[in-house]
Amino acid sequence: MLKKRNSSALAWGFVALMMSAVAAAADDPREWLERMNNALTTRNYDGTFAYWQGDKVEMLRIIHRVKNGQVSERLVSLDGSGREFIRTGDELACYFPDQRTVRIEKRPANSPLLGNFPRFDQASTAFYDIKQVGRVKLYRRDTRVISVTPKDSFRYGYKLWIDEGTGMPLRTQLCDARGRPIEQLVVAEDRVLRINADIPDSAFLPEVSTEGFRVLRPDTGAGAMVADARSWDRWDAAQLPPGFRITLRAFQTMPGASGPVRHIVTSDGVASVSVFIEVQQMARGSGAAGSPEGASGSTTAQNSPAPAGQEGVTQFGSTSAFSTVVEGRKVTALGEVPPETVRAIANAFRSLGQQQPAPTAGPRTAPPSGLSLQSQPRR
Amino acid sequence: MNEELDSQLSAMFDDELPEDQCQLLARRLSRDDALKARWRRYAVIGAAVRAGRADGQPTVRLETNLASRVSAVLSTEPALTGVPAAETRKTAGMRWWHPVVGGAIAAGVAAMSVLWIRGDAPVGVGAQLADNAAASVAVSGLRAEVAADTSAPDSFVVPTNVQRNRIVPTAELANYVVAHSEYSAPAFRRNLISALIASNEGTAGVVDESDDANVVESPAENVEEEK
Repeated sequence: MLKKRNSSALAWGFVALMMSAVAAAADDPREWLERMNNALTTRNYDGTFAYWQGDKVEMLRIIHRVKNGQVSERLVSLDGSGREFIRTGDELACYFPDQRTVRIEKRPANSPLLGNFPRFDQASTAFYDIKQVGRVKLYRRDTRVISVTPKDSFRYGYKLWIDEGTGMPLRTQLCDARGRPIEQLVVAEDRVLRINADIPDSAFLPEVSTEGFRVLRPDTGAGAMVADARSWDRWDAAQLPPGFRITLRAFQTMPGASGPVRHIVTSDGVASVSVFIEVQQMARGSGAAGSPEGASGSTTAQNSPAPAGQEGVTQFGSTSAFSTVVEGRKVTALGEVPPETVRAIANAFRSLGQQQPAPTAGPRTAPPSGLSLQSQPRR
Repeated sequence: MNEELDSQLSAMFDDELPEDQCQLLARRLSRDDALKARWRRYAVIGAAVRAGRADGQPTVRLETNLASRVSAVLSTEPALTGVPAAETRKTAGMRWWHPVVGGAIAAGVAAMSVLWIRGDAPVGVGAQLADNAAASVAVSGLRAEVAADTSAPDSFVVPTNVQRNRIVPTAELANYVVAHSEYSAPAFRRNLISALIASNEGTAGVVDESDDANVVESPAENVEEEK
């Protein structure tokens, strides 16, 4: 009898423990962030959003669909420019009616779209304070307000209003180190946000007529020539800002680029910064620029002084980009971080010299073994 | 848009435009795309602002320089620190939205919504209709929400020292942004692409380098191939 009573008590204790664990998980702000990521990548939705940056507001329609494992999405400006961004499967198309240009990129079939996003893990807490700061109603929906506050000035913070019912962020604010919003994306009206909707294929057709537009695609021919002509050198970062580490190495083919572009992703677990390394295109006649040997043959880890006008920070929205020239290569760091962070990251990269013989095929084929889409083990 | 028209639109929002002028403006709104875009912005700004202020200071009047006025007033607001719903309830519905709920402006807004849709109906292509529907819903929704939903979110604080210089995403930079967006967290990725789409031509500028720092300014298609 006593044994039975003990078992019963143990069972109730276990249930209570589990319930408190579940409750704790439900209140864990990181859990909400994961739910949000999951909702954004797996749910169908179609809504009108207002994008704010400074005193500028632009209305956007954002459509996202996952059907048979294939992601389709479309962002279209409802004001002015009529620009559109459409992904259907492995193809990305950017329509710039104001520039009468369409840029099309192909993504490899195994693009890690859903698998390599930053995760709000324990390591993130070393550099961010992640808290639930409130529960408020937004458009009559209960939302959790989660703040992600940086602990230093190398990164931005975020405030997210996450719908409790669906996990969808109804409002996303990007803030500077002092918590002041820099930009935000907010649902313009809940009645025009359809979640889990059945979205037809026709929703992913561009609104603009592209007749007479210039269409830019990756130039595989030019890329192949460059790939044949040069060796693949290795690049690594000497010292990244605190918390940032390399999470992925890949090669990209890009419209207009003269060859495959090295793409290295660094992340602190929340923010990502991409580093693009390519043959320097701007500084013809500046020594090593454009020379495969001069660019990749060096084993010294010294930064070539950037020619005048070849280095600089640019910004739009919350995105900062910094370009410099390192050993004849143009190195550009870009990400949703402060300008000083992209500058530090771009300047951290050095060539470690040649690694393997040049590939014999163009950039559409697999990049050199060991360099393509390699995820680094997480610390 | 000329200043007078802009001023009239602001006055309409403030319920300070005579009804006959409201009607005229509503008609004009039905056929003026620039004015429609401005109205839509007002509606959105209002949606964000109407959460109200917790400090009880005088309310803002929307005038010609709407955005900067809103920014100036809102920048004095405290940042969000988990404001309880009950507290926001007290302050919901700024004075300048009250006229939208009742009075002459309501008639003006209603007339405008009808005219707006009617005026665009012949154009009728999908996104345009969606656009109009969204905008008109937003306009009518504002009235309904002020009355029914008093637990609005905190307001948007526009920083005073945000770097206003933006660059036009050049071909090359656009490529980088698109490639990078694949590896951003989903929520931030949306912001990233939104910024790309929303970037305005004509606002180019380099942030902290010399003016001739044009490393991302050159169209990729003009680049010579490596020999």
